[in-house]
Amino acid sequence: MNGVSGKKSAASRIGHLFVVIVILTFLLLPLLVTFLFSISTVWDHTILPKGYSFDSYAALFSDDRFLLALGRSFLVASVTVVLSLIVMVPTIFIVSLYVPKLERWLQSVVLMPFAVPGVVAAVGLIKLYSSPPFAISGTIWILIGVYFIIILPFVYQSTRNSLRSVNAAELMEAAEVLGADKPAAFAQVILPNIMPGIIAASLLSFSIVFGEFVLANMLVGGSYEVVQVYLYHMLGTDGHRSSATIVTFFLLVLILYVLVLKFGQRKPRTAVTSDAKEGNPFELRPDSKRVEKF
Amino acid sequence: MSFVRIQNVSKSFNDNRVLNQVSLDIEEGEFVTLLGPSGCGKSTLLRAIAGLNAIDEGSISVGGKDITNLPPKKRNVGMVFQSYALFPNMNVYDNIAFGLKMDGLKKHEIRPKVEQMLSIIDLKGKEASYPSQLSGGQQQRVALARSLIKNPTVLLLDEPLSALDAKIRRSLRNEIRLIQKRLNMTTIFVTHDQEEALTISDRIFVMNHGRIEQAGTPNEIYIVPASEYVARFIGNYNVWSREQLKGLPVHGLPEQGDMFAVRPEAIRMDTAAGDNENGVVADGKVSYVSILGNVLRFEVDVAGLPVTVDMLSGQSIEHLSTGTPVKLFIPRDEWKSIQKSS
Repeated sequence: MNGVSGKKSAASRIGHLFVVIVILTFLLLPLLVTFLFSISTVWDHTILPKGYSFDSYAALFSDDRFLLALGRSFLVASVTVVLSLIVMVPTIFIVSLYVPKLERWLQSVVLMPFAVPGVVAAVGLIKLYSSPPFAISGTIWILIGVYFIIILPFVYQSTRNSLRSVNAAELMEAAEVLGADKPAAFAQVILPNIMPGIIAASLLSFSIVFGEFVLANMLVGGSYEVVQVYLYHMLGTDGHRSSATIVTFFLLVLILYVLVLKFGQRKPRTAVTSDAKEGNPFELRPDSKRVEKF
Repeated sequence: MSFVRIQNVSKSFNDNRVLNQVSLDIEEGEFVTLLGPSGCGKSTLLRAIAGLNAIDEGSISVGGKDITNLPPKKRNVGMVFQSYALFPNMNVYDNIAFGLKMDGLKKHEIRPKVEQMLSIIDLKGKEASYPSQLSGGQQQRVALARSLIKNPTVLLLDEPLSALDAKIRRSLRNEIRLIQKRLNMTTIFVTHDQEEALTISDRIFVMNHGRIEQAGTPNEIYIVPASEYVARFIGNYNVWSREQLKGLPVHGLPEQGDMFAVRPEAIRMDTAAGDNENGVVADGKVSYVSILGNVLRFEVDVAGLPVTVDMLSGQSIEHLSTGTPVKLFIPRDEWKSIQKSS
């Protein structure tokens, strides 16, 4: 019996492995080919390139326009995420603990970005923000504004779940009874406990903003060129350089996602671990033993 | 004047009156228990004393100071929660030191106090552990230390033992009582467990629908329940109305009272006839026997009326098996006339 089930499980393992390999190949092959092309010298009628060189990377990283675009992308993403956290984390905390009646509304509002396609939003925003009093179309401000809205659902969900998992209401009460006022209790007790959730939300939001193209291209395009738009412009001029840009861009986003996964899996320290039961933690002091005899 | 004075306190949540004109006085150093089923208002009253729930009417004063409208941080009360509410991001030391840090004490002032507390709760050597690395009993001791370190005027315990298993609950109960006595700490303990309340308290306030139903020492509450509600809630009292006893083979009923409570251990039971000069005699049949460790509990059927009788095991009662016809004898002074509860 064991032999049969052993064979079956070995066969199913091979089956699983096959599916995983097919999917990974499908996903990674284009990237691999792009990478090969970015380091190839000539690659026209051979299976593999005729020669290899990192010239296109050297050219890319010595191109001021690319470095500037990369810097802009970092700036837009960082400012947006920091702004969103400063505004949203206290808001979500206050609404969920002290005005739960508003929570339904807040939830509807933050989910709105999912209902509006990027192109529709872009057209509407261009119309609204191209003329005074808010003529900010083509500037960093419109990008920050629109990305702030786009990352709302991610910041909301992550923060809300963290607050739930640490039982924030009772922690606040405990801190207040111990002499903390509300801001101190929030800063010293709640914030450190929801930090893994906040970090995950920040990284996720950052990588979403970093990879967004439609709004960046339509709202600001060349007047405030971010790396996504730079890449788009590069596609038509130099194939090797644009491949190098894609690979660099992919690696940056990949690093962010790895960080998201790492911080997202960190659990708050609430569960009682089994090894805590080792030893005799319930041992009574001698005087309490005496009482137990009565 | 009493140390803790609660006067005519009322509180409603969306038209639901949870506390209804509650008044009670507690002396300094006293250990009192608010006892009642869930929803009776005991936790709401405790939270009102801590300042976590604002009250609609009435006043609360501790140590002669009116604290009715003070925020929690200015009340100097200690509170231990059912789920411990330890700060997961802080280790045992920082959890215990938190209150002192909030009061602005310096590090060198905090350390000896925390160390003293650690030795009181017997957790020396665990300073660096995080709450998740401690067992439930240890976590609750840390929660206790965290509240006691600020030397609060009154300690509030909100069902602190109900998340623990039976054995640890008993030992921690004794420990809490010992610490309370040693520090002479005025303590208000909330529980729904009557055994816990009877064991630990100086005085018990039995609560029902936002009111104090009866107040007294554990002995008074157990021996002389004031109402049907208290009798039913405490122990396994037999509670009968005069109406129910009419027409039954029961002789020698007291002439006064409409509602009676009789402790199961006060009933004598045998197969031979008893005397009805000083008590009530009834004929019945054993319908069920259960063993509760040192006590045997008999369900006796007296012409359709169930009667619970407790006898110590080890007595020569083997002949009292299911189906045996028996005579019950209840001494006259064991019939407690009680108020009918609506």
